[in-house]
Amino acid sequence: MGENTKLTTMNANQFLDALKAAETCLERHRDLINALNVFPVPDGDTGTNMLLTFRSGLERAATETANNLGQAADQFADGLFWGARGNSGVILSQFFKGFCQALSGLETAAGPHLATAFQQASTAAYQAVGQPVEGTMLSVAGAVASSLQSLEPTAAGPTGLWEQAFRSSQEALSLTPTQLPVLAQAGVVDAGGLGLVAIFGGMWGVFTGQPQALVDEEVQKSAGRVTPQIQSLPAVDASFVDASHHEAWGYCTQFLVEGPGLAVDRMKEDLAAIAGSIVVVGDQRRARVHLHALDPGPALSYAVAQGGLSQIQIENMSLQNQDWGGAPQQPARPLTLVAVAPGEGFEQLFHDAGCAQVIRGGQTMNPSVQEILDAARRSNGQEVIVLPNNKNIVRAAALAAQERESAVKITVVPTLSVPEGMVAALAFNPEEPLQRNLDSMDAARQGVTCIEIAPAVRDSTVGGVSVQAGHFIGIIDGGLKLAAPDAGAALIEALDSAGLSPDLIVTVYWGGSSSQSQAEALALKIERRTPGIQVDTVFGGQPHSPYLASIE
Amino acid sequence: MPVKIVTDSSSDIPAELAAKLDITVIPCNLAIDDVNYKDGVDIQPDEFYQRLLSGPRLPTTSQPSVADFQEVYQQLTGQGHQVISIHVSGKLSGTMNSAERAREALGNPDAIQVVDSQLASLGLGLAVIAAAEDAAMSDDLAALAARVRAQLPATQVFVTLDTLEYLQKGGRIGKAQAFLGSMLSVKPILKLQDGEVHPMERPRNAQRALRRLAELAREYAPLTRLGVMYSTEPGRAEQLKQELAGLIPEDGVITTRFGPTLGTYVGPGAVAVALTRSQ
Repeated sequence: MGENTKLTTMNANQFLDALKAAETCLERHRDLINALNVFPVPDGDTGTNMLLTFRSGLERAATETANNLGQAADQFADGLFWGARGNSGVILSQFFKGFCQALSGLETAAGPHLATAFQQASTAAYQAVGQPVEGTMLSVAGAVASSLQSLEPTAAGPTGLWEQAFRSSQEALSLTPTQLPVLAQAGVVDAGGLGLVAIFGGMWGVFTGQPQALVDEEVQKSAGRVTPQIQSLPAVDASFVDASHHEAWGYCTQFLVEGPGLAVDRMKEDLAAIAGSIVVVGDQRRARVHLHALDPGPALSYAVAQGGLSQIQIENMSLQNQDWGGAPQQPARPLTLVAVAPGEGFEQLFHDAGCAQVIRGGQTMNPSVQEILDAARRSNGQEVIVLPNNKNIVRAAALAAQERESAVKITVVPTLSVPEGMVAALAFNPEEPLQRNLDSMDAARQGVTCIEIAPAVRDSTVGGVSVQAGHFIGIIDGGLKLAAPDAGAALIEALDSAGLSPDLIVTVYWGGSSSQSQAEALALKIERRTPGIQVDTVFGGQPHSPYLASIE
Repeated sequence: MPVKIVTDSSSDIPAELAAKLDITVIPCNLAIDDVNYKDGVDIQPDEFYQRLLSGPRLPTTSQPSVADFQEVYQQLTGQGHQVISIHVSGKLSGTMNSAERAREALGNPDAIQVVDSQLASLGLGLAVIAAAEDAAMSDDLAALAARVRAQLPATQVFVTLDTLEYLQKGGRIGKAQAFLGSMLSVKPILKLQDGEVHPMERPRNAQRALRRLAELAREYAPLTRLGVMYSTEPGRAEQLKQELAGLIPEDGVITTRFGPTLGTYVGPGAVAVALTRSQ
């Protein structure tokens, strides 16, 4: 069509062609829309729901012949209603129900009909939801409707209206993160809103004669239109604070003035002489006032001469400003877990098990009280459980817990080995209160036997076990119990000595000089010796010991 | 006027039991490879789980439409019945929203009470079955609905999953997020709390998980109702049933399969227990 063939009316075929283009556009962007929908419920199916809903409308329209635009619109809306899937689909179907009602009975639609259709569509979409939330596809629908009010619809015609509708939908979509904090936190725009943009984009392409490639480019651009200011939320960008320096110092002052005979406009003018950011709303009886002033006194004195004051609120913006200018502060979590771990395998394992911070350290690398305290603070918990995972670290952890200046409350679960710490970490549940966690972590670690295999560096005799340099010793729950010429044999012997039975679970953490294939070969051997037992092998990455193991 | 009970297919009530108790089950929608199915009507668990495990794209679910509810409500009220419509937790699904919209659109919305069970699967199922038995003996809609609501906190659901993957990809993981990503093999136990999925424990294998499920159930004894659900492993359900022996008479234990709607989220290998504590 293009600029030179600007439409003055839209008939049934043109409407259906545009809807088909909208469907294929939605289909091309379905995965993009699905991917966006990660908060607040990571639904991941908004694109699919909208596409299938939309398609059911077109399928219905395709099975029946329409004599005019009104009938085609009715059929489409009816199909949509019956095929609505998911919340986004329901809202979409209601949107087009409103839209198509405005076209009902028409042979063709001119600009004013379409402008009305967008209004009714927006109203119907809002009504579809019990409690409308802004920052969603509703906001996009609403923004499109209100932006069209500034057009002269007859002159704009379908081409001009769709141009404006698509552009304002893009704009509204880009604002959704400012309306819905979860979107800002996730750094995304609303998925349902993007679905609507894709639909409008497809139709825009038809009514303005744009090639598909350009339509796609525009839709994709909308998906990524998160403004830098928004990405920096919730910590307000320091440069923004600087830019608003003159405003951000002093006192934000709000109050209610009760008349009779208030002159709202004159109050605005008078207050503007003594304060900034003046907002005065109300009538002769009551007016709400908002202003910023370095000294709120004169403004209050002025207001009290106008009438009675109430609901006075004065906030020191300088303090707020300092708070905002500082380091980005995430909201504290009620309970976090911190563990000391030797080696990257364990570091990952403890992170995966739910540790907010993992301190690298262990047998030959004991972290300091300060390091433990810092990690506990960084974990951002109001209460923090620390797993020292080594008998040489338990004391430092206990000292960190005694630190009274700190705002964090630290409790140590005195795990003596890394496998024991792992069992305790798996019993951690951040959704439960501290004491329940301490109880279940204690219960879990009581039921575990821990084994360490380590290379002997010199000949010696310990507790009746004679050890040769180059051999491997087996330590069971802290006591040296055996020695063997190679690490695998030492592990088998240690497990035998601890006692195995079919209903147990053995976890072998390999590190030091051992390899995955060696660990897996050992696991097979253990399983063959005790049929029915479960043996898991995991990379621990501990520096010295070829094998650490737990029996649960 | 007699009161009829309506629920949705995520209640996983065995079809013959629903028929016997005169419960109307509205099927949820399911899309597999862009084709729409009605849960339990044109797709059954066997086919569903086979496609869940082999399909390129995970199925997606959606609530029954407003129209689906309108049809049922109009039919029942048209026959002179009142309706209690009890559904899957509004935090997990938009089904409640569809039901409410349909009720509002009805000429006589007062003939219908819509109840958010805050539960799913047989947890919802047990509440619905109790309501149906109660409704057979009373015509007092308000009193019946009040009893249904009052009984809801007495019902618990505990589930163990082979993997959290389906729950996560399906966007229903809720607070069980905390149990994601363990490199050690665990069979997480989750519960429904305040209508959401909530983490409980991480036993290291299925055997221990089943034993824990039974222990958790025993903590609520004495029980009035007990059910066992599974997705793909009937043997595990049977084992759990044995672990639960003695809690209620054995012929009262309902065994059912997670239907396609719930199966989308629990995935293969899932086993669960639903119970109602006596009050």
